[in-house]
Amino acid sequence: MTLTTLIILLLVILVVALVGLYVFYNRDDKRFTLDIGGAAPRAAGGNDASAEHTVRNRLLGLGLACVGVVGGLMTRLWSMQLVSNSEYSEQAESNRTRTISVAAPRGRILDRYGNEIVGNRPSLTVVAKPEVAEATIEVQLLANLIGMPAAAVRRRIQDQSSGAQSDRLVASDVSRRVVAFIGEHPYLFEGVTVEERSVRAYPYGSLAAHVVGYTGPVTTELLEKSSKLTDADRSAIVYEAGDTVGQAGLEYEYESVLQGVRGEQNVHVDANGVVLEYSTSVEPQAGSDIILTLDAELQQAAEDSLERVTAAIRKDVSKECFAGSAIVLDVNNGEVLAMASAPSYSPNVFVGGISNDDWQSLQSEESNNPMVNRAVGGLYPSASTIKPIMALAALDNDISTNHSHYQCTGWWTGFGDASGMYCWEKSGHGDMTLQTGITFSCDVVFYEIGKGFFESDNPEAMQEKLREWGLGSKTGVDLPGEAEGRVPDAEWKWNYYTSAADADREWKGGDFANLAIGQGDLLVTPIQMVSAFAGIATGGKVWRPHLLKSVRSSTGGGSVVDYEPQILRELDEPEEHLSVSRRGMLGAIYEENEWIAKQFEDLPVQVAAKSGTAERIGHNPTAWYIAYAPYDDPKYVVGATVEEATWASSSALYVVRDLLGAIYNTPYETELWISSIDAGG
Amino acid sequence: MASDQGIRKSEPKTLMETILARFGVNLQKMGGSKIQHKGFWSRVYLNEFIPNVLLVLFGAVVMWSASLTIPEASFPRHMVGIFLGFVLAVVTWRYDYSLFADKSMFLLVVDIVLMLMPSIPGLGYNAMGMTGWVQIPLTGFRFQPSELAKPVTILLMASLVASYNGKIDTIKDYLKLCGILCIPFVLILTQPDLGTGLIVLVLGASIIVCGGAKGSWVLITVGIIIVGAFAVVASSMTEGMPHVLKQYQLNRLIVFVDPSVDPSGNGYNLQQAKIAVGSGGILGKGIGHASQAGGGFLPEAHTDFVFALLAEEFGFLGSAVLLGLFGWMILATVGLALRVETPFGKLVCAGVAAMWAFQLMQNVGMCIGIMPITGIPLPFVSFGSSSMLAQLVSAGLVQSVWLHRSKPA
Repeated sequence: MTLTTLIILLLVILVVALVGLYVFYNRDDKRFTLDIGGAAPRAAGGNDASAEHTVRNRLLGLGLACVGVVGGLMTRLWSMQLVSNSEYSEQAESNRTRTISVAAPRGRILDRYGNEIVGNRPSLTVVAKPEVAEATIEVQLLANLIGMPAAAVRRRIQDQSSGAQSDRLVASDVSRRVVAFIGEHPYLFEGVTVEERSVRAYPYGSLAAHVVGYTGPVTTELLEKSSKLTDADRSAIVYEAGDTVGQAGLEYEYESVLQGVRGEQNVHVDANGVVLEYSTSVEPQAGSDIILTLDAELQQAAEDSLERVTAAIRKDVSKECFAGSAIVLDVNNGEVLAMASAPSYSPNVFVGGISNDDWQSLQSEESNNPMVNRAVGGLYPSASTIKPIMALAALDNDISTNHSHYQCTGWWTGFGDASGMYCWEKSGHGDMTLQTGITFSCDVVFYEIGKGFFESDNPEAMQEKLREWGLGSKTGVDLPGEAEGRVPDAEWKWNYYTSAADADREWKGGDFANLAIGQGDLLVTPIQMVSAFAGIATGGKVWRPHLLKSVRSSTGGGSVVDYEPQILRELDEPEEHLSVSRRGMLGAIYEENEWIAKQFEDLPVQVAAKSGTAERIGHNPTAWYIAYAPYDDPKYVVGATVEEATWASSSALYVVRDLLGAIYNTPYETELWISSIDAGG
Repeated sequence: MASDQGIRKSEPKTLMETILARFGVNLQKMGGSKIQHKGFWSRVYLNEFIPNVLLVLFGAVVMWSASLTIPEASFPRHMVGIFLGFVLAVVTWRYDYSLFADKSMFLLVVDIVLMLMPSIPGLGYNAMGMTGWVQIPLTGFRFQPSELAKPVTILLMASLVASYNGKIDTIKDYLKLCGILCIPFVLILTQPDLGTGLIVLVLGASIIVCGGAKGSWVLITVGIIIVGAFAVVASSMTEGMPHVLKQYQLNRLIVFVDPSVDPSGNGYNLQQAKIAVGSGGILGKGIGHASQAGGGFLPEAHTDFVFALLAEEFGFLGSAVLLGLFGWMILATVGLALRVETPFGKLVCAGVAAMWAFQLMQNVGMCIGIMPITGIPLPFVSFGSSSMLAQLVSAGLVQSVWLHRSKPA
């Protein structure tokens, strides 16, 4: 500034000096005139007055033209600098002002004890403008620097999934060396920038991957929807290209809670976009943390157990055994304490954008669809786990009573010899009641019940009861991807098998017999069955299963809003009917056989359970095991499924036992004994 | 016109003097006028001198502010240019300009040599797509001979036209003058430097017109030029026809007609220049606060678009002062042309005034979107020593006309 002042001062002094000089020495010149006056001698040698006149006129014309030039320029400058000044000033301001949006940290996902299942961490990310894909040399340089094939770099830059105009992600978690090199050679890497982004961190690795889900760049559809928001939808989140949004699991379900409000930083930049100075800013608002009902330890136990059991089955019996699920529910409020699905995946592969190859392999049949959350999205016939509910259906509809007796010879011909059906125990169970029918899972008892419904005035009361217990409809658990399942009836069968002969489309007695043992066209999800069992345990009150325990706001001093548990359904079942089912299930642990009883004897509480082995033609069966405990004051219901397994008591039972062991701190350390179906039960 | 100066005998002493003497140039004459005036300052034409000095100072301030943000704008180099130019201007002032009145052939040769210098292998230097530069051997300095050719052309045309004493009677003479003017014009075009070529054309034409060319011939010539220009543009834009104009020159014309199209960034440049000027407002943003120029949005802020920088920093007030100083200086020069007695003196002044007026119109005009973009510097302000030297020499010529005004021709 001092130099400026000096220059101005010098200028002023000079101006004054020159003006003084002009005034002082020019006194004699009297006047400044364009007229040379008649007294002036003619040009030497010029004697033609008209020629002299011509020159004078031309010179005057030249002077006039010069005045015109200066005047014209002055007029234009007046209009630009005085009249339209504000307009140009605005343009100059918008030229140099850039608004950088500052991403808000996403809310964390914590387990019920506050352990961080999903957090955030900073990641140095290289992003490139779409045009960079055309710059062959630049792409090659970038590829060499990052250590990726040039073709892969180009593919990433050409990927439009995060919006046609937005910057494309080239690499995440790059080293400081890469950052420094790009920073020092801005002319080599035009259009390439390094950003410090906040990305998802998974301190527990892939724990509860299906529940928490994953995040990814905002999709074009969401962006379009967001751009159409009117002022009325002010509360809705406005997305920008490049934003990270939840795409599955709770990340998706509670997107609006987890997503923060982006901040803005206004900066002044030069023509190359280099920030010269920072001006006003609006702080970003972090998303709210969500606290889950999950118990990280129990969740870990569930996932470990599924892994251990399927591995043992693969080793001994079924090479295809990879998939399964496990759920632990609090029967008194619907809190999901653990929810596992196998096989699993690492949500980490989605951080910074998933590669095409990874995505393909996660979607493929060969890898057993690891993305599917089988606990809510897996559909299986319930098999014998339907029997406690079927018993209630029979009792409520007077198809059966507490005192009914059934004779099991292993072969049942209730609908004639031609359509005879086996009990799973081909040697027969002998004399059975409804309760022992549950304990020993005697199929003949339930074939009889099926026949009873078939012959009753209101045969479809069976399906009605199943629906009452929540089969065939979603539980409404707070996760995307829940399946409805299917409770088959006459109308459904007629409409479903449209290409079959009319005789085969009709609902028959055999269909009731099949449905009564949970086979045939019945499809249920593990969460439906576990919820139904919770209802049996509580005496008819079913709470909506849920994973959200509370939301902790990032603003307002971290205020916590608790999730209000909701009653999903309340069934009016007579206590004596319920006790038949419960007693039958208690027997399934302690009375069916000594080996099973032995597996549960260490536990400090009594357990009631029901197994199920769903046959699949051409495959190994799907095993079910659902238990609740303590028997006299139910608190937990624990369910497990294992696909491509063997007998339930040699597969899913172990998972349930592992989880009860984890809950009651009595680990199950016996070596797993896997019995094959072919070897007989 | 008497040519007694050339005949006066004085022994040539050195080889250089001998060679120059062949062209009738007498170095001993450069000692200056023997005519005594009442004081030193009366030997200076203050009406031209004062605005000129103020312009140079204003330019220096602008260049100093440009040097804050633009690394290429070296303030010391600008000052060196001013210093060298001032020395040359003083030499020119002291030298009797009228000695050139009958040295047409010498001036033409010098002009041609200047034009051809860049084409001499080892001397020529290519910058910004033009071969208009000459590298001074063994030094890092370069200069643009075509800039120095401007005052030489002024002297050349003035000396030729002056011999007609204000009446160019025959079409043959008129065509001869036009033909000679075409020599430097065409040579510059081959560099190619359309901007400087146009300046030479305009100042030469002004001299011919002021020198008494018949009005009807001039009008016909202007008509031919306009038709010719249209033909050149049209053929350059048409596929298969000879492309006289380079693509960048064509682009500038297209942008001028319709700034919304932007071939190769010319529309952007124009837009940025206009934003710079317009956002300056009344008082400007102040030295060092020009966001357009300082942030690099305004291209060539220290050379071709220096006026936009000035207008942004000093606002309408600064622009008006600049235009006022130019107006004062140019009108003073025209006024001197009217007052001085010899036709040669008149025409030299007319040529210089026309050159300044045209460069001012072209340079400022392109910054505010009323003229197409050309690489014409703003006299005394733009960065570039060649231009500064040439302009100060031209100013020296005007001063020489003043100093030697009462000398009998």
